[in-house]
Amino acid sequence: MSDHKERLEQSLSALMDGEATEMETHRLLKAVAEDPQLRDRWKRYHMASAAIKGDPATTSIDYSAAISAAIDQEPAHRRNPITVFAGSAGRFAIAASVALVAVFGVQQLNSPTGNSLIDGSGEISEFAGVETSPENTGPAIQFPSGFQPTINARTVSAGGNNKTSLRMAPVLDVQQQAEQQIKQQYSEAELRAYLNNVMTKHSSHAALNSNQGMLPFARLSEVGSQEGGQEAGEAVSEKE
Amino acid sequence: MVVSLIFKISLKALLKKSFKAIKQAALVAAVLLHGPLFAEPMESAHDLMARMAKASRELNYSGVFTYEHRGNLTSAKLIHEVREGKIYERLLHMDGTQRDVVSRSDNLDCLRTGDMLLRGNAYKINNENYSRLKDFYEFHIKGDGRIADRQVSMVHVLPRDKYRYGYVVAIDKESGLLLQSVLMSHSGKPLERFQFVDISIGESVGHSDSQIKGGVFGTVDQADCVELNSKVDSPQSMWQMNWLPPGFVLASYRSPGEDGQESMMYTDGLAVFSIFIDSVQGNTLPPVDAKLGATVAVLTKADINGHQYAICVVGEIPRRTASQVASAIGIGP
Repeated sequence: MSDHKERLEQSLSALMDGEATEMETHRLLKAVAEDPQLRDRWKRYHMASAAIKGDPATTSIDYSAAISAAIDQEPAHRRNPITVFAGSAGRFAIAASVALVAVFGVQQLNSPTGNSLIDGSGEISEFAGVETSPENTGPAIQFPSGFQPTINARTVSAGGNNKTSLRMAPVLDVQQQAEQQIKQQYSEAELRAYLNNVMTKHSSHAALNSNQGMLPFARLSEVGSQEGGQEAGEAVSEKE
Repeated sequence: MVVSLIFKISLKALLKKSFKAIKQAALVAAVLLHGPLFAEPMESAHDLMARMAKASRELNYSGVFTYEHRGNLTSAKLIHEVREGKIYERLLHMDGTQRDVVSRSDNLDCLRTGDMLLRGNAYKINNENYSRLKDFYEFHIKGDGRIADRQVSMVHVLPRDKYRYGYVVAIDKESGLLLQSVLMSHSGKPLERFQFVDISIGESVGHSDSQIKGGVFGTVDQADCVELNSKVDSPQSMWQMNWLPPGFVLASYRSPGEDGQESMMYTDGLAVFSIFIDSVQGNTLPPVDAKLGATVAVLTKADINGHQYAICVVGEIPRRTASQVASAIGIGP
């Protein structure tokens, strides 16, 4: 292993402990963008430290590369005289670029051809506040209510993420149009009934064949309690 | 530091030439040197998993557990009792609207594919290939813990590929029962958690006859029982899975019934997904991609000789795996 790499890994450990210098942090951000191995190591460190603390709730979604890349590719807010005039606008541009990159990153990660850094399911869609189905050739639609109890980014800690879902508005518009067309062909209740049905059967299967005994049946509690979910789901779709 | 301490103690002992002190030093050394080794498992993680698979079926227990996902929490009461070669299970939701109680009985000697895999048996896929749990997961014992006022061993189950999720499980030291199971995403984020808050285990549980035999117990289909080295087949199916995530084997098959629904269920021993193929509802349902807790449902459409089919893959697997399975379903030769 080269000295350089070794030093980087030491810096990484230091950063984990909150002891890295500013210089080290910059160097790491640069290196992480180019070195997937280093990125993996960062994730492993986080998992390990979370395990030690007995805290499975620690997340380690890695945005460092995307954000540093965004800053590199953002010449406009420095050269553009308009942004020089309006300092606040400049700051907004940076924020917007990060948000856009976050959206872009989400879509990339979700796409089947995208870099499979992170598995593109739950955590990402929760973050973005919208679920995409890249594998389906058909138009995306909203889930039947009760099947997506938390559409907003409530559980995400970083404050900027709510903005991200606002920036998804154009996508949502497209989805809604598609939804309008589809709604004529099927009833939402029918789809919900169908999904409930397959969920119930699946849970029954799973309870016999997984390590968890009867526990998978508890998953059905969500399906069963539709009344509440239905209202929540409708409220959400009205907002959009 | 430990060594220097031992050294100091030994030195002191030698200086004093006291036999007792030497003995003491040796004892201290033994404790210090072997201290960390006490955390080392008496049983391997594999043994623990195998014991768990057995215990969850064969023991009597009842308790209350919680199910949590994305900030939602529900609780349920579970009764599990073995009588005269039969397992009686009952699950009652403890909150929300009054919901159906799941009550069912099963033959104790009916082992299923998941049991087989979990008990560490190699599962014969065909003449050349075997599926083993340890080929797809790594098991690490991560020390001890306490769940529902019982001593547990914590086991981290890490997937070896991206097609399945990992788990953090807590297994009761005394009985081998699973007391906690957390499904973990690839980025180390918990997706859902089952955890007992209170449990009674063993003969003392003693449910009254009315509790066990009084209720109406649906009998679990015994068609999926497997012998060692046998496997579930789907001879009538016209469908063919052109891709399955490695390690997943067919554990259950239902031929199309009156409702026109055909289903098959696959497991790698821990993760489970089901495929439902509908010919009747195929015309009306749109392709959809739903997520409920840790469960994904990917519904796609297939047009076979002018007939529309709905194909739905449901399971606690990454969405990408489900999509890949769904898109690789075709008509067999």
